[in-house]
Amino acid sequence: MVRRGQTMRFQAFALCMILGLVGLAVVTAAQEKDMETVSPALGLRAEGLIIARCSVCHSADLIAQQRLPRARWEATVEKMEHWGAEISNDEADLLVRYLSARYHPGAPDQLLPLDSELRKAEPLTQEPVAEGPLTGVAARGAGIFEHNCQACHGAMAIGGMGPKLVKTPILKQEDLFWETVLHGRGAMPAWGSVLSPQDIADIFAWLSTK
Amino acid sequence: MTVARRAWLKRLLNGLGAGFIVNYRLSPTQAGEEAPASRETGPLTVRVMRPYDAETPVREFTSYLTPNHRFFVRSHFGPPPPEAVSEVHWKLHVSGLVERSQEFTLKDLRQMKAVTVTAVVQCSGNGRAFHRPKVPGVQWERGAVGNAQWTGVRLRDVLAKAGVQTEARHVQFQGADRPVVASVPLFVRSIPLEKAMHPDTILAYEMNGRPLPLLHGAPLRVMTPGWMADSCIKWLTEIAVQAEEAKGYYMQTAYRIPTKPLEPGISASGSSTPVEAMVVKSLVAAPQEGRTLQPGPVTIQGVAWGGEAKVVKVEVSIDEGKNWEPARLVEEDRPYAWRQWQYVWNAETTGMFTILCRATDAQGETQPATSPWNPSGFLWNGWDRVTVTVAA
Ligand code: HEC
Ligand code: HEC
Repeated sequence: MVRRGQTMRFQAFALCMILGLVGLAVVTAAQEKDMETVSPALGLRAEGLIIARCSVCHSADLIAQQRLPRARWEATVEKMEHWGAEISNDEADLLVRYLSARYHPGAPDQLLPLDSELRKAEPLTQEPVAEGPLTGVAARGAGIFEHNCQACHGAMAIGGMGPKLVKTPILKQEDLFWETVLHGRGAMPAWGSVLSPQDIADIFAWLSTK
Repeated sequence: MTVARRAWLKRLLNGLGAGFIVNYRLSPTQAGEEAPASRETGPLTVRVMRPYDAETPVREFTSYLTPNHRFFVRSHFGPPPPEAVSEVHWKLHVSGLVERSQEFTLKDLRQMKAVTVTAVVQCSGNGRAFHRPKVPGVQWERGAVGNAQWTGVRLRDVLAKAGVQTEARHVQFQGADRPVVASVPLFVRSIPLEKAMHPDTILAYEMNGRPLPLLHGAPLRVMTPGWMADSCIKWLTEIAVQAEEAKGYYMQTAYRIPTKPLEPGISASGSSTPVEAMVVKSLVAAPQEGRTLQPGPVTIQGVAWGGEAKVVKVEVSIDEGKNWEPARLVEEDRPYAWRQWQYVWNAETTGMFTILCRATDAQGETQPATSPWNPSGFLWNGWDRVTVTVAA
């Protein structure tokens, strides 16, 4: 059973390689350089940022439907920062590089949609590291929550666009909590590529004290 | 690194797979075959999931009025929570340069003289996707427009109760919708006093004879007939009479067009003016894009509207605009509403054809092949195009 699963996964991986290369090849000359500086690891990180930081106010489809030259991507990301997107300068740089490489004026209409449905269908995160139980630090969790989760779940996690998290059954089901936070669900982003297991444990610890 | 790379490629595969599915679903012939079964014209095309923005399939426009549940949906922040606009909690406040600030409940408004206007409502960005070079914003194609009957009170009757002061020049609106993050500018807009005092400018509480649905601005929205929808504020709660235009992003930066034509691709613009009146425009509603037709007579039908000016002519071309033939204007003829039109094309030869249409308004403005480029992609009114195949 296990073996079979691994073989299939390998085949899927090989197919991904081929299709991935095709995908990467489709860039216009002008913005081709950008893609060279976006390694798969950085691309993954950029996508993580798009769901974690950019999908707070609108779904990522609004981003994926644009086909813009670099200057307009710069202006757009700057505008979003100004409006409240929580990204550092380095993250903004990475996003501009990634967005202008992937969503340039010559890119085809049908590219990968970044909506949450897909994420749900094929969660893209590392499994939690199995290195024994983590001890969450509630005091750290407060800050991590404020930075990453508050926009949707409200101050003190009392609810907003996303549901209330304090004093809810999910805090009694730690597995489900981890599953939801790592892989996302519906409009809830997947955090596996953005937060470390320690970060998530800290948030959980903080929520449990409320 | 291996994990990351594998995941990255997996996602790419995933994306490509989804691309095929989307393609498959949007294939016009497919959609056409599904239509008779559902007796509707297929799902709205969702442009943005959250906040929800969706456009109507143009084949819906073979009917004069666009049903409420088929009407395009657009807002910046999504609707406010239903409680905030429920009849018990909701109030309209009128303040600013008035003799006496006023508060109205929905009941108060319903007791005032009711007026019904049939009017086209169109997103300023409708057709944005056709501008070249491409511009940022929701990539609307043809269906961010609809024609409905709007019932409500005259804005000037509401303003009269408050008493407009002589320095007043603009009327500012704000709705109950709020961004998820407070640092995003609110959607605040104003219209000049003349438009506000126009007898056809109303605050609508009904759409096609039914209470305004939540997605369309319940319980009250501004209706500025002939003007683009960025003035038709939904979920209206605040009216402020002012000496100046509204301040803020959505008035001073967004929803503006350059006063002088710009060279395509320029990002910074000089002087600009707010988007106000619609420009003359028409759509082919039938046959649908991608359809295969039998040789012989084909009834081409569609709609045309001119904002504040009447549509006087619609023409059809089957040869990329070399020759234009007049279409027949049919059915109701009302100011601000769209006009339906028909043209019988005798499709004698087989092959692929692109049907073009263009309208002319009473001021002599005719739709251009493509609209003047502007950095935000507003006011697209290039010739409409629908490609069909004639096969025996
Ligand atoms: C604090 C809220 C917020 C965050 C976070 C945010 N955006 Fe936006 N974004 C907006 C608003 C508001 C609009 C305008 C929406 C509309 O017109 O419907 C917008 C529009 C856009 C558009 C459409 C073009 C335009 O200028 O209207 C793009 C592209 C975009 N955002 C990209 C991003 C990216 C990339 C990020 C992450 C770096 C991001 N957004 C994060 C609020 C936000
Ligand atoms: C972009 C908005 C958004 C952000 C940011 C966000 N969430 Fe969520 N979250 C949601 C939504 C919406 C749901 C409900 C999902 C559903 O059930 O469809 C949700 C659900 C959840 C749930 C499940 C609740 C339950 O009772 O089932 C947990 C746990 C959760 N979020 C934790 C977090 C944490 C921790 C963070 C920060 C790391 C976070 N969320 C950030 C939108 C968000």
